[in-house]
Order: sequence, then structure tokens, then C-alpha cells
Amino acid sequence: MTDPIAPVFHKIGNRRHELVLSPEGSSGWRRARVPGLKRHWLKWRGGYNPKTLERERRLADKRPLWWLLSLGALVVAAPFLSNPMLQVAAIFCIFAAINVVWTLIIGAAGILSLATMAVVGLAAYGAAAANVYLGVPWPLMFLVGAGIGLVAGGLLALPSTRIDGLYYALLTIGVAEICRVSISQIRALAPQNSSINNVASFIPQDWYLQRPGLLLGFGSAFVLLLAALLLFRAVNSERLGLLLQSAREDEEFSEAIGIDYKRARLHVFLISSAALGVIGAYYAMFYRSISLNVFSLDQLLLMFAMVVIGGLGRAEGAVIGTAIVVVIDRALIDLGPLRIILIAAVMIAVTLTTHRGLADVREQFRAFRNRIRSERRARRTRKGGEVMPEEATEIDDKQLVAYRRFDKRLRDRLKELVTPELIEEHRQAPLGPHSDALARVLNYFRRGEMPDKYAILQDGPSEAWEYSVMALSGTPGQPPRVVDDRIYATREEAYHAVFLLRVNDLLES
Amino acid sequence: MAKHRIFGYCAPWSVKPGDPLQFMVSGEGVSTAQATLVRLIHGDESPEGPGFLEQEIPGAVPDTLHLRRQFTQKGSFVTVPGMAACDPAPGSFTIAGFIHPTLPGKRRQTIIGRWDIAGSRGWGLGINPEGHLEFWTGDGKDVDQISAEVPLIPRTWYFVAASYDAASGTARLMQLGRVGRYNGRLGPVVPYDYDSIVSAPLRVAPQPASAEAPFLWAGASDWNDMRGRFVGTLYNGKIDRMGLWSRALPEGDLRALAEAGQFATQDAVALWDTSEGYTDGGIDDLIRDIGPHALHGQGVNRPVRGMTGWNWQGRDDNFRLNPQQYGGVHFHDDALTDCQWDPVLHWTVPADLKSGVYALRLTSDGAEDHIPFFVRAAQPKAPIAVLMSTFTYLAYANEHLAYEAPIAQAITAHTPILTRRDIDFVKLNEFGLSTYDHHSDGAGCCYSSYLRPILNMRPRYRSSAMGFPWALPADLSLLWWLETAGYDFEILTDHDLHAEGAAALAPYKVVINCTHPEYYSEAMLDGTEDYLTQGGRVIYAGGNGYYWVSGLRTGEPGILEVRKLDTGSRAWQAEPGEGALASTGERSGLWRSRGRAPQKIVGIGFTSEGMDHSTWFERMPDSFHKRVSWMFEGIGEAERIGGFGLGLNGAAGIEIDRYDLSLGTPPHAVLLATADGFSDNYPLVSEEITYAFPGRGGTQDPQVRSDITWFTTANHGACLAIGSIAWSMALPINGGDNNVGRFMRNVLDALSRPGPLPGAEWKGEEKLWR
Repeated sequence: MTDPIAPVFHKIGNRRHELVLSPEGSSGWRRARVPGLKRHWLKWRGGYNPKTLERERRLADKRPLWWLLSLGALVVAAPFLSNPMLQVAAIFCIFAAINVVWTLIIGAAGILSLATMAVVGLAAYGAAAANVYLGVPWPLMFLVGAGIGLVAGGLLALPSTRIDGLYYALLTIGVAEICRVSISQIRALAPQNSSINNVASFIPQDWYLQRPGLLLGFGSAFVLLLAALLLFRAVNSERLGLLLQSAREDEEFSEAIGIDYKRARLHVFLISSAALGVIGAYYAMFYRSISLNVFSLDQLLLMFAMVVIGGLGRAEGAVIGTAIVVVIDRALIDLGPLRIILIAAVMIAVTLTTHRGLADVREQFRAFRNRIRSERRARRTRKGGEVMPEEATEIDDKQLVAYRRFDKRLRDRLKELVTPELIEEHRQAPLGPHSDALARVLNYFRRGEMPDKYAILQDGPSEAWEYSVMALSGTPGQPPRVVDDRIYATREEAYHAVFLLRVNDLLES
Repeated sequence: MAKHRIFGYCAPWSVKPGDPLQFMVSGEGVSTAQATLVRLIHGDESPEGPGFLEQEIPGAVPDTLHLRRQFTQKGSFVTVPGMAACDPAPGSFTIAGFIHPTLPGKRRQTIIGRWDIAGSRGWGLGINPEGHLEFWTGDGKDVDQISAEVPLIPRTWYFVAASYDAASGTARLMQLGRVGRYNGRLGPVVPYDYDSIVSAPLRVAPQPASAEAPFLWAGASDWNDMRGRFVGTLYNGKIDRMGLWSRALPEGDLRALAEAGQFATQDAVALWDTSEGYTDGGIDDLIRDIGPHALHGQGVNRPVRGMTGWNWQGRDDNFRLNPQQYGGVHFHDDALTDCQWDPVLHWTVPADLKSGVYALRLTSDGAEDHIPFFVRAAQPKAPIAVLMSTFTYLAYANEHLAYEAPIAQAITAHTPILTRRDIDFVKLNEFGLSTYDHHSDGAGCCYSSYLRPILNMRPRYRSSAMGFPWALPADLSLLWWLETAGYDFEILTDHDLHAEGAAALAPYKVVINCTHPEYYSEAMLDGTEDYLTQGGRVIYAGGNGYYWVSGLRTGEPGILEVRKLDTGSRAWQAEPGEGALASTGERSGLWRSRGRAPQKIVGIGFTSEGMDHSTWFERMPDSFHKRVSWMFEGIGEAERIGGFGLGLNGAAGIEIDRYDLSLGTPPHAVLLATADGFSDNYPLVSEEITYAFPGRGGTQDPQVRSDITWFTTANHGACLAIGSIAWSMALPINGGDNNVGRFMRNVLDALSRPGPLPGAEWKGEEKLWR
């Protein structure tokens, strides 16, 4: 039979799967920067492989790579898509753009506004009306849209500083509904079914719904998405976003150090609303018309599903969620109403299994692996006090591993020396001279590491000194901490109290 | 932590009546303090002794002092005052030199530059919190930087360079590893690629920092409302030669600099040659610029010099042998050799003040501080002098052993005994280190200074690691006893002996050492030897004396230097090649290793230490010879001498010395008494260990013992040596009436009389019938 506590050693080791560069150090490295910014194009991390000390240059932030691959794949695939699928891809790009901007409002600014589509719709109606009734040429429609978005954003922002969270969300749903009802009542604006048709567009009339028109539509929608992502990046990762990030961590602290986070929120909200206005104008041009559908609750709820599935607060979440929902909703059109149930099912599955949507799955998986690892390590009983191979990879100073084994064996021997007689010997003469056994036990205690090593506090006037036990921090500038509230009348009693604590620590280990 | 606090120091430590003395005091939470001059009579508050005793000297100092909070600049750095006019920014420039970082990472460190942290202006070359070399620029609003690709490996020499080209707005940062066979922690077998050369356009052009922000090595200028200007982002590690040029040097030129270490002079703004200025007697704090503008740098808080440079070849182990290879200057973020506080009291020692240990006592609102100093006689009159161990006090000043040295409890065999004041001291962490402590990068601290509050040199202080008085408070027991026993004595300090040699001792019939005269300079050894040779009488009543080779830089008595190396009971070990005192040029370490074991001067030398118990002396057969038996009058033949005391209840213990002919104990020295029976917490000292084998503790090794020896010198001189720190701490027991005191009386009465010593005539050959 094997010893039940004999350690079981598992072989460990892993090949390197990550793409890593190994440049020559003296060869020089010219680091380009994004024009006008301090930012480098890619965030690299240089270092040494801990196993071989080989030099390694790896991407510290691989997201740009993933963006490039996924968006690149979309662009490459587009010319080969069928007409309906090309239309789906374009719609995906438009809604992804809307959601990315919405993510700025909810995530970066922290304003729970559900009036996104209302702003888009108002701008779309406004831009379309300007074109159809006032003859504004289509390129200027973007400006009209931006202006309307800005004004709408300004109006919506007014109550956002006064009411919080859920109330504001409800209010914005109400605003969206008011927009829908109002526009349906304004006959002059939209005589037919409350829609404005024959809006001018960047897609020539005769290309509309033809292959070249669809390609142009997709291309422009893709550019719109890129622009939205750029805006997200510019706002979220530059000054405004950083201010708001600190505010999200601790509002009172950031206010105390002079960060005007309310103002920064307002700025983000206004910028995003203007962007939504631009998207609204684009929306009207893309369809060459605009209808009340844009304000519908169904539409809002679909977008809700996109953001929930993808994850709030991150651009990649908005894009992933949009892709899933748009594919189900538009590409699987044959399924009929079942689509909505499918979307709901995906939404429920995602919310049940992830903390913050699909974009967070990687971190969540890592946390999960870490948790399992520490649970397994804690559960592993057949260690015999040894450092396991998997733990040893995390200890740089291998001597510490040897110390651990030595310490374990020494403690096992010392435990056998601790007897009532030994404790009594110490009580009678804490400072010695001592028997060999007691001297060995004491010497072990005295050689311990500094953190949490015991010390004695002598307090009170000199004629009535009293003593208590403390533990040292081992860190310069950090005072010792109190161990318990017991008071000892003599120094000898305090020495012995420390000894008993240490014996206890030894026997429990 | 107490809300009201007073801390102070004074300079100089040793004064005579009529001398000026300055007190530097900082008050926190208090604006005034009641000041009283007191003579310190006894320190330790233990109820077994006389307790804390001080004698007020009314009217000697102003009653009230006005205090304010004074701040302390920690960290060693170099300031280059002339650079404000020569700062090449916003034009092109190159800074290049050699560095050996010891603690890269965790927080930002500035190696060199003119950078204003608070104003975000200027430029600096340093190490970022991730441990990468970084060059940064600021224009007052924005900051930009360029970082090396790979982290710096600690304790490795690098050539580093940063150049800025104003025309193109680009910067180049370069680091090239300079790993030799000797010069760093790692050797050539380690396959690191240390090099990194990175260039990038900078978005922020460097604007020269404001005039108040100086050009610094090893730090950058910062500012806050309370403190005003101070130096932050301090650097840990060595810096060798550095150069600054007013153009962006091309990569080829920089590589040439890195290879040769000889800096091009064309377009040079400053060429700091850290290996310049060495003399046979050491080196000062000036970093010499051999370039066109002579922009010399001034070291603050004593950057450690005499250190091996990037090009150290390992053959020469002292800077005197090859200064070219000793360009290393070591900087520490926790070095402190001078608080540089403003004096709150300029005082002249009153003409009638008798010699003794005094203190300025300051009290206010529950806060109290004693600032001790030493008054020697203007005209020596007393027959007896007590030599206060001011070098030792400095060496142990503000030691952190109990809190930071894992091995301290094993050495002392004690659980530390802390007081509230000790806890405050740990929290405060502001007044620097002792020569027993390590800097934050792990290097030993070789400088200790009295130009700062020293919280363990206070009369009531007990060593927290050991739980009994140490150094000055322990030595006060001897002074109390002398005073109580009615002896006429005056005091001297190590600093006086160092400055004046035998002349300081010569006026006295007998000179008594204190409990622990461990740190000695050559001048002090010479003075003691000369005094003994000329008929002086020395009572060496202490343990582990004349041990470490210590030095002061000429004209700067406040700062003691020691390098602990190779052997001895050492809190740290100097790095290879760095064992010479920068203050004097001598090899430091043990005097024993340099041919001057303490046995050669006083008859005994260090043999063991332990802090678990003390024991007593027993007379040895030699003590019954008529040449010396007079010392034991009133003491029984088998009486335990000193089975009591404030130092662990015995007169023999703590640190103990022994007689050894092989180490130079004079051949005619007699062994009067000895103490043995020590526990194994008294191990034989490491300098005795050649082969290590078991059983070198007090229960098994015959060399673990404490001896009392006596020998005579020419001209009626003599030396009595009592090798135990605990000896003087036994004197106060029973009001001073005890057999340790009895022995001291017998000896002092005889030695303070001029002329032949008692028993001198018993020098005939023994014609023994027994």
C-alpha cells in the first residue's frame, strides 16, 4: 500500500502557442505613433522568457488584431455574399455603429438612456424632411442629422443630472414613444403612413436594390461602423474617458481631487447624441425613406438584446451582440416568429452563464480557471508538505522550495519535542540556559521570518510596567499589530505567553 | 501615534565650556516647548537600579523655545547647481552614462535630468514603475516618454543614453548591457539580451524646468505646499560616468562611448567623471565635471563612493589601486546623513559647566525629548576620565534590528520588548538608518550621522531587540556609580580621542572605557596605545571593543563610516572590491584582520556574544599574586563577582572578550578572573571559525568565556581589561554597594594615584616551596 499522504507529482509543461517575436536587442526599433497622438499603433510588451531568458516581444493588447481579423474577414467576404446577405451585413454595420455609440452613453458616461433610437429617428426624420421638403442636398443631411442629434441630446441630458438609473431609463422610453406618437400626428411632415419617402441618397436612384447599390450600401455602412469605433476609441480611451473611468471607480474621490465628472458625462452624452444624429441621417439615406418603425418598442428591445448578449460598456460587446442578433433576425428570416424566441433564448443563456456578456467571456474563463486551480490546490491532501511542481513554476527563488521542505521536516521533528515538561521548563526560565530540546525549539522560533513575528509591548509607568503581545510587520514604516488583549504583569510571563503562542502555531502547522 | 511630538539633535556632540553649540528641533502639533538643561545622572528605569535621574541646571538655556515642523529630505542624490544656465532643452541634447540599478520597478525612479515633478516640466532619464529604462519630457502641461523594450536586470551594469533631436522632434533611448566577469551579480553565462534601442517621435518638446528645480542625479525636484521644494523619485543603484551633449549624438557615436567609456568632448555640456577626485586619503562628495563649464555636482546625504564601476576588472580591490575602475557612486532612497534643519537655539556652553553628559530637555503638551551632548573639561583637573563611546553610539544610531532583521531574535535569544516610543519610531521611519541596517535595495548602510534625531540615544532607552539598556543609557550606569562613589571624574568622547590622539587622554591618570567601545579609528587606537606607552592607565571595562575599522572624513565629525566585510559579527557584507572607507582610503572590516587585534592594546578581544543570560566572574589563580591581589581586597577567594546587574542579572555577559596570546595579548598579562558557563546562545565568533564543526557554543567551547586581565606598561602605566558589556551595568545594584563596585574602588583608588602601582615591587622570581 502506498503512504496516504505521500505526494503525487504530476508532469507539467506547455508548448508556447502564442505568437512571439524575438528581435535582436541591438538592432534598434523605430516606434511609430498614431498621428497627433502619443499612442503607439500597437501595444507591445518586451521581456524575457522565464524558462530560457530568450527575448520576447509580444502583443500586450491583442484586441487590435482581433478587430483587424474579424472586420477584415467581413470586407473580404462581402463581394461574395448573396444580395440578401449583403443587405444583412450592411444592416449589421449600421446597428453595430448605433450600439457602439450607445455603449459610449451607457458604459463610458454611465447614463442609462433608452432613447437612442428616438434620437436616431428624430434625426432621420429631420434630415429626410430637410431633403424632401427643403431640397437640402444629401451630403448636408449629415449636418442636419448631427444638429438634431445634438439638440435632442441636450434636451435628454437635462433630466439626466437630476434623476438616476431606472427612473431615467423609463423616462427615455416614454420620450421615444412620445416621438413616435407626435410624428404620426404631424400630417404635414409625413403624409403617407407617417413615412417620408424618396429621400435623396449617396446611392444613385437606379442602383437602388441593385448589386452595385447594395455593395455601395454595405461599403458605406462599414465606413460608418469604423467611424463609430474610432469615436468610441477617441472618447473612451482619451481624456474624457479616463476622467469618467476614475469617476466610475469612486465618484466622491474624483470630485474631491477636482475632476468635474458631471461635465465630462454631459460632454460624452452630447458627442454621442450628435453621432447618433449622423447615423440617423445615414439611416434615412440608406433606405431612401424613413418610417415610424424606427421608434418601435420591438426595435428597442432587439437592440436591448444585442447589448445584453454582447456585454455593456465595451465596443467589442456591442459589435458581437449586434452580429448575433442581426444574423438571427435577418438572415434566418425563414424561421418566422421563432426568431424572436431564439433571440430571447440566446439572451437568457448568455445572462445565465456570463457575468457581463460575451465580450467578457475570456476574462471570465480565466477567473474560472484560477478558481478551479486554487480549489484543487487547497483540496490536494497528498502533498506531504511539499511544493507541487505546478506551484514551483510560480516561485522564482528555488531556494524557497528547498526551505519549505526543510522547514516541514524540521517542524515534524520539533513537534515531537514539545512536552508538558518542556513547556514547564520554559515557564520557569524563559531566558535560559535551557535543555537541548528546549534550545532547539526556541532557536527554530527565533529564526522565523520577520512578518508576524511576535514581540512584547512594555507599557505604563516604570514602577508598574505591564506587558502584552504584538506581532511585527516586517515592513519598514509599518508598525506592529496587537495580537490579543491579554495583559501580563511581568516580562517573564510575557516571554512565556509568546512561547505558548509559538508552540501553538507549531503544533497546528 | 502621538499627536504632539518633539525631535531634535545638536552639533557638535562634544563641547567644552565656552564652545558654541546649535540645537536643531522640530515640533509637530506644538509651537513652543519648555527648555531645560539637565545633567544626565542615570538612565535605565529598571526598579533594580537607581532609576532615571537627571539634575536640572536652572537658567542655563532660554526657558521657552519656539518650534515648527521641520522636514527631512531622505535619500542620497547629487545636485548640479550650475546647470540651470546650461540646460540644453528645448534644443537637441544627449545624456549618456553608465548605471547599475539595484531596485528597478515598483515605483518611478529618476537617474539623471532636470525634471520638475510638480510642474511637469523638463526632462529626465529614469526607470518606470515596470522597471524599464525611460526618457521623459514635459512642457508644463503634458508629458511624453519613450521606454526601453526590456526591463533592466537588477545589479547589472548598463550603458544608457537618451538623445533628443529638436529639429525632427524624435528621441532615441539606448541601453546596452555591460556585463563583465566581475562587475555585477550575473556573469556572462546568463543568455540575456540586455540591449534595447528604441526611437520614436515625441509629442511633447522638453521645456527647461523652472529655475528652482535643479539638475539632479538620482532624483527629481518636487514641490508641495507644506514642505516646499524637495527631491522625489529617488534612485536606488550605482551611477558611473555621465555626459551631456548639446546635440543628438548618432547611434554609432553612442556605441563608441559604451565601448570605450571615454566621452567625446565635441559639443559637450558636461562630462562628469566620477572616478576623478580620488586621493590616497579618500574622496569627498563632489562629482567632478571635466567638461568646458566645470559644472561640478554636490552629493547630498552622502552618496556612497569608492564603489566598483562598470569597468571593474576584479584585480584591484581598493579604489586607491585603480581609481579608473572605481567610478561607481551608489545612491539610496533611504540614505540620511544630515537633516539640515534650521537651528532653533544657538547656545554657548557656560564657562562654569562641569564636565559630564548633558541634555537639552524639551517638554510641551505631553511631548518630551532629551537631546544629549557631551561636555568635557576646558582645563582637565580630575584624575579620572570616562571615554564615552560616541563612535559606537553613532554606529547603532536608530537601528532597526528588532523590526527588520529576521536573525536578530536568534542572536539575542529574546523576543523584542517594545515601548510606545519604539512603535512611534517604526511608524515614523524618517530619521535614517544605522550601520546595522540595510538600505531598501539590500545594501548595508555604511554611514551613520549625528546630524539627525537619534531616538535610541536617549537616557531612558532600552534596546528593543534585547530588552536592556544599550550604549549611552547603559554607560550612564558607570557615570552614576562614579558620582555616587564620590570620584572626581571628567568625560571625553571618541571624537576627542580621534581628533587629538593621546593628547586628549594625557592629562588624566586613568581613563575608563564605556561598555561597548566597538567602533575605533586608527587615530583612536594610536592615541590609546601612545597613552599606555607613556604611562597612562586604561580600564577597558567593556565587551567587543576596538573591533571595526571606522573613519570620519576630515572636518566632518558628524558622519561615521564603516564597511563590514569578510569576517566578524557583521550585519551586512560589503560587495567585492568595496571594502575601503571612502572617508579615509583605509581597508575597513575588523581591526584584527589588519594586524591590530584588540588583544595587542588592552589584552583581550571579542570572543562571543549572547543576550539570554549573564553570569558572574570567578577569581583565577593569578589574582592571588601580590602584584594584583590588592584589587580583590574585601572580595572572598571563591566569591561570585557580579552575580547581579541591569544587564541580564550578571556582570559577565552580553558581549564578552577573552585573553589570547596568539592574537597579541602581552606575554606578561595575568588572568585575574574569568566567567564561563555560558549557554549555547553564546557561540564562538565567526572570525575564530576556520573549519566549522559542531559544539562552538558556550556549553562546549572553552574559548567562550569572559576574562579580566591586567598588564603593566612602561612609566607606571597599566591596563586592566574587563571583557564584558554587562560589567558596568552591575555597578548600580544595591545602591552601588556591591562586589563589582568594591573591585572598581580598589582599582580606581590605586590607578588614580601617581607614581608606582601597588604590588609593583613583587616582580621577583618565585622560589616556591608549595
